[in-house]
Amino acid sequence: MAGPLAPTRSPETTTGEESQTDRPWVTVVWDDPVNLMTYVTFVLQELFGYDEPTATELMLQVHNEGKAIVSSGPRERMEHDTNRLHAYGLWATFQRDS
Amino acid sequence: MKPFRRRGDEVVARFADAEASIVGLLLDQLEQLLTADPDDARGDPALDRLLPPGHEDVEVAADYRALTESALREGKADDLALVRATLPPQGGEVRLDAEQARAWLRTTNDLRLALGTRLGITADTEPPEDPAGEEGSQLTVYYWLTAVQGSLVDALAAGSGGRR
Repeated sequence: MAGPLAPTRSPETTTGEESQTDRPWVTVVWDDPVNLMTYVTFVLQELFGYDEPTATELMLQVHNEGKAIVSSGPRERMEHDTNRLHAYGLWATFQRDS
Repeated sequence: MKPFRRRGDEVVARFADAEASIVGLLLDQLEQLLTADPDDARGDPALDRLLPPGHEDVEVAADYRALTESALREGKADDLALVRATLPPQGGEVRLDAEQARAWLRTTNDLRLALGTRLGITADTEPPEDPAGEEGSQLTVYYWLTAVQGSLVDALAAGSGGRR
């Protein structure tokens, strides 16, 4: 998968370069053995408004690659997103985009 | 257990007496874990999983925790209270609106995270061959909770077609 995904855009319209200049922070979801795949997909739709195919793709990236960037933007928003994911029990961290 | 199904704007399931008792006990244990003195409970892997660090850097994570942890605990306590209030103690029908269903989702997930951490669940763990053994009975409960939560996710997802 190319770059970070912006919450309300489809992956096709979001380039990695665009995200790196405009959106220096990201929220990362990490794989864990307990959370159900269907649950992770549901939570990503619920919290970020992703459509089901996009949420499923991100969930599979978490599952197969160990992590996925689920949102990007200003640091405060990424801290907030991390907090919302923790409320749902997903293993999430925020970090500066690399 | 009759798994969660969508019925109009609500989701409905049915729990046997013994099942409701088990969930009640697990809720008590989760509440104890979440309300324990942080000095005693810090380092408990189950609690660490429920209140994870938000950043890889220890200092950044500590600052973040100072800002967010109490609200996170309160949210979990509110969810837990709502689950307790909507679960008939002797078993029976559980009928949830959208908001109550979210609380059930989060709390059943917290129960699975706590139990799964204690049991050392990995991606390769399989349901117990001997459900009667002690480890088996805990694993049985874990997989039973997984079925409860899975049916709830499916019931909610079934009603979300075309939203947003």
